[in-house]
Amino acid sequence: MVSLDAGELTTRQLNVRLKELAQAGEEIEVLNPQARHNIAVGIFHSCKISIKGSVGYYCASLLDGPEVTIDGNAGWVLGENLMSGKIALGSDAGASVAASMRGGEVIVWGGAGARAGISMKGGTLVVRGNSGFLTGFMMQKGRIIVCGDTGDAVGDSMYEGVIYVGGETGALGNDAKIEEIGEDELVALWDMLESHGIDGRPHFTKIVSAKKLYNFDGLERLEKTVV
Amino acid sequence: MCGVSGIMYKKSGSQGLAPIGADLVRMLDALAHRGRDSTGITVAGQELAEDLIVRVWAGDGGEASDVLARAEQAVQRVGGVIGSSRSWGEFLRLSVNYEGEIPALAEALIDTPDVELHSIGETSEVVKDVGDAQAIDEKHQVGRLRGTHGIGHVRLATESRVDISHSHPFWAYPFPDVTVVHNGQLTNYHTLKRHFEDMGSRFQTENDSEVIAVYLAGKLESGATLEQALRDSVADLDGTFTYLVSTREGLGYAKDRWSAKPLVTMETEEVVAMASEEIALRRVFSGEIQRVEPQESEVMTWSV
Repeated sequence: MVSLDAGELTTRQLNVRLKELAQAGEEIEVLNPQARHNIAVGIFHSCKISIKGSVGYYCASLLDGPEVTIDGNAGWVLGENLMSGKIALGSDAGASVAASMRGGEVIVWGGAGARAGISMKGGTLVVRGNSGFLTGFMMQKGRIIVCGDTGDAVGDSMYEGVIYVGGETGALGNDAKIEEIGEDELVALWDMLESHGIDGRPHFTKIVSAKKLYNFDGLERLEKTVV
Repeated sequence: MCGVSGIMYKKSGSQGLAPIGADLVRMLDALAHRGRDSTGITVAGQELAEDLIVRVWAGDGGEASDVLARAEQAVQRVGGVIGSSRSWGEFLRLSVNYEGEIPALAEALIDTPDVELHSIGETSEVVKDVGDAQAIDEKHQVGRLRGTHGIGHVRLATESRVDISHSHPFWAYPFPDVTVVHNGQLTNYHTLKRHFEDMGSRFQTENDSEVIAVYLAGKLESGATLEQALRDSVADLDGTFTYLVSTREGLGYAKDRWSAKPLVTMETEEVVAMASEEIALRRVFSGEIQRVEPQESEVMTWSV
């Protein structure tokens, strides 16, 4: 375990050290983050990073591989564009957690602010508490699991992907609809949550895109040329 | 982008004044990355309860000493008796014994050439200038100001020019001790401004945030509570906003319908503090912080 004191490093110095240590496969602990922005970004190796305290904006963004745990709160846009790996936040997340994530897992043990999982393109976002306004706004793939309540406009303008809500569902957003959840699907969700230590087995409401605003044929541009 | 912060010591009314100026400087310094064009604070509290505190800037035209002398004459012309007068550079702080109506005093100052009126307060004053928090503190010694509560702002200008008068906080002319700091943009600014001008309000700048102060002044004048005024503003103001308001009684905030602009708050038995980002709270408070992130359309008020 290598310990880095964020209080003695600039953010750039801290991130350079984290990258070096990650490449060497070290287990790293970051002390005194003091809610500063941009901590632990742009790391492309499997490694374990434990941040002891609250972090600011864009923490653990642009990651491919690391496992990051944070004992505290996060500001806006925790885990933006996560490709693979796992981010676990001990307390509350600000707005836009897991924005544009493409893979891996983000687990928020507290609540999440507005626009949780905005423009998600894959992976799994779990919020143990409540999530805010516009949860899953414009999501394109992946799944969002909110064990508590969501704010209004949930799933607004989503293209694909699924949002599961364990508590009260706020007003549905444009082009979002509720779909019956399968029993196997529900049991699989409970198993997954229990493997993370989240019990309670909420009876989830499943929200998907109604695809009324949907003007795509499902093929990407390159696929079309092949067809 | 801009940054806002506010702090109130709940027991300072009875147990002595708190270092509001110093706290705000530290919080705004932590938010410097959100804007360095200008910085400003309001400090409110009983120690300042002289007659009236008038804060004036000599603007860009004319010799500062001449302009400030004209400001003093304007105060005297409407019957104000100047108790103390302190000037440094282009800035003037007066304490004024004045029995008349506040709008008459405010108008006398605004109508004086090159005089820019920043605030008239019974228990509060506004200090604002271009530059960051440390620069403001060095020049204006705001870190020494004590009070019960206050608000502050760092600005990254988007909709109007960078100068001292277009900096926050904005005083809710002609309502003493009501000031506002705002992060965001108002899209119905011109409509609201025309409406309030038709109603007789006077605007001193082209900054969209000023209309929030004027709006709240109108609401309070017509008898609304601060909380009701904040609640109404969420429907009546269009655009993005997180704004803080300081009144004689305390503090409040309002957030827009989309939760577009950030705010975190924390509250203990002694203190309530709020800022755009948690990093600012951690400059003032160490250890465990139970912070809350208010959501869309939320408003809240606290009284000293």
